Amino acid sequence: MTAIRLENLVKRFGGFTALKTMDLSIGDGEFMALLGPSGCGKSTTMNMIAGMEEPSEGRILFGDRDMAGVAMGKRGVGFVFQNYAIFTHMTVRQNLDYGLRMARRSKAEIARRTAAIADLLQLGDLLDRPALGLSVNILQRVAIGRSAMMEPAIFLLDEPLSNVDAAFRAVMRTELKHIQREFRQTMVYVTHDQLEAMTMADRIAVMDHGVLQQVGTPLEVYNNPANVFVARFIGAPGMNLLPGVPVEGAEGLRIDLGALGRSVVLDAPLAAAARRAKGSVQFGFRPEQVELVSAGAGLGMTVGFVERIGARTIVHLERDGITAKAVFDNDTRVAVGDLVHLAPQPGALRLFDAESGAALRGI
Amino acid sequence: MTTAEIRKDMPTRPAAREADEGARLGLRLTLPAQLLVLFISVFPLLMQLYISLTDWSPLSGLGWPHAHEMWNGFANYVDVAGDGRLWSALGRTALVMAVCVPVEFLLGLALATLFADSFPGKRVFYSILIMPMMVVPAVAGYMFYMLFQSGGPVNDILSSLLGMPVTVAWLSDPMLAMLAVMVADIWQWTPLMFLILLAGLVGVPEDQMKAATLLGASPWQKFRTIVLPRMKTIIIIALAIRVIECFKIFDTLFIMTGGGPGVATETISVYIYKITTQDLIWGYVAAIALVILLVLSVACVWAMKRMARKGQPA
Repeated sequence: MTAIRLENLVKRFGGFTALKTMDLSIGDGEFMALLGPSGCGKSTTMNMIAGMEEPSEGRILFGDRDMAGVAMGKRGVGFVFQNYAIFTHMTVRQNLDYGLRMARRSKAEIARRTAAIADLLQLGDLLDRPALGLSVNILQRVAIGRSAMMEPAIFLLDEPLSNVDAAFRAVMRTELKHIQREFRQTMVYVTHDQLEAMTMADRIAVMDHGVLQQVGTPLEVYNNPANVFVARFIGAPGMNLLPGVPVEGAEGLRIDLGALGRSVVLDAPLAAAARRAKGSVQFGFRPEQVELVSAGAGLGMTVGFVERIGARTIVHLERDGITAKAVFDNDTRVAVGDLVHLAPQPGALRLFDAESGAALRGI
Repeated sequence: MTTAEIRKDMPTRPAAREADEGARLGLRLTLPAQLLVLFISVFPLLMQLYISLTDWSPLSGLGWPHAHEMWNGFANYVDVAGDGRLWSALGRTALVMAVCVPVEFLLGLALATLFADSFPGKRVFYSILIMPMMVVPAVAGYMFYMLFQSGGPVNDILSSLLGMPVTVAWLSDPMLAMLAVMVADIWQWTPLMFLILLAGLVGVPEDQMKAATLLGASPWQKFRTIVLPRMKTIIIIALAIRVIECFKIFDTLFIMTGGGPGVATETISVYIYKITTQDLIWGYVAAIALVILLVLSVACVWAMKRMARKGQPA
């Protein structure tokens, strides 16, 4: 087990900068998810940790050891590929003990460790089966087991669930989390699927356009996004962001949302944050954290579209070119064309600087 | 409609008869092609078998259908068994095969490994590399005939390298003539090996290679455990093509040495050519050809089966 530290990591491919000054500390035994849309630099970061790519600038440390110039076979990194890269011309056993065979360990040691890993991953009955034609969840276990045989300090997983159909993904997520608990390994998990990151990771590093946006526990990232990108990216649907201007009134500070009316009076810390913005802000709240209120109160918007997805109903709202979404229970009676009044729940309000996009946090 | 009514409406032809008719139609449609195959492969083979049992020769004044008038039973086959010149020609052919095919394979594999990665100027080198294959074998033979003259470029280069005049008569020395013939064959046919092996090599999944690297495998271990097993089929095909082609080696060699000096480079094809055009004993030639066909077929099947079994994972 090893902690990983990325210091001022930069990666350029010709004139294109794939990763711009990344600083990240991953704790010993931690499950860290690198989450972001495609092209955000998450796979590049992972490949540099594995040693498949050399950083253009900066350092990668495993514990106190600088990894510069250490070949990828010598880093003690277990890598699970997107498609598992199982050796299909070998049996499960030959896949599992490949690394040890190549290292010319004794037959007894190989047999002992293969048995231990096979037991842990419930592959005992499949050891002498050819790897070709096994189902994906078994292949995943073989891929993890094959790396685990080398007792790596760090496990890197590159979107291992992206080739699996949606129904099976839930099974695989649970299984993967179990395996991680068994191994108590430092794991770095690259994904573009926030559900995977949210359900499995101890902490999530959200990335976009080669820039690390926020690092935090799944709840921190969901509740207190550091900027508008994270606010929109995390959550399904993402956070509502409405353009507004802070206005002082007799009762305190409100946000003027134009045609939608004015927000409730902000609480003292949030009001202090809004005053610091000195200009327009983005008024944010989660679609799940709204209530319908009677006419006259709240923000008046017209229902444009209703998505009923079983347990919940997603209502798309619009007014004067400003759009928002709200998530209600499945029996909510709204119809297209209705004028509804929304009130974000107390404590659900978030403010972002309109210019920089950074969160304005109450102190 | 009731079930009975539906049954009444159905055609009364049983399925078996329908299949029968389908087969008959198939036969009618493929008949022209089958006749063609019969004429170009089966007919000559049978004709050869027929002639090989006679003393027939085009000089005998009889048309070949009348060859039975010169029937001699299995006398030709008995002669084949005792024909020392034939068996040494066969031995020389085997020697050419045993030297050229492995060298071509190893060179081709090394080049394919090199060309599987990218390097500057790869496309140009690629074109140059496969050029020998496109040279007409007779032309290649003439090129090497000139290269290996005692006053030719090979001796010139050797002279300047060694710093003393070299005047080896390559094509007049029994051993060296054989060597020169092999060099020409390797020059011309390594590119084919290279092309086939390169196609197999680029088909090896890159992520499996990366996975092996991450598991600590050395380049040689990766080659042995990932690349070779995956290329097994392609390697067998490449070797089979070259072994068969090498057995038939003729044109380049014939122009370079004419099978000489003496019979030093006389391979089986050269020998057959000579007795066909010079001695004109066609009954005997037919017997030789059939024996060789049999030997080569058995050897090929045996070798390919053996290799296929060997390559199987334990």
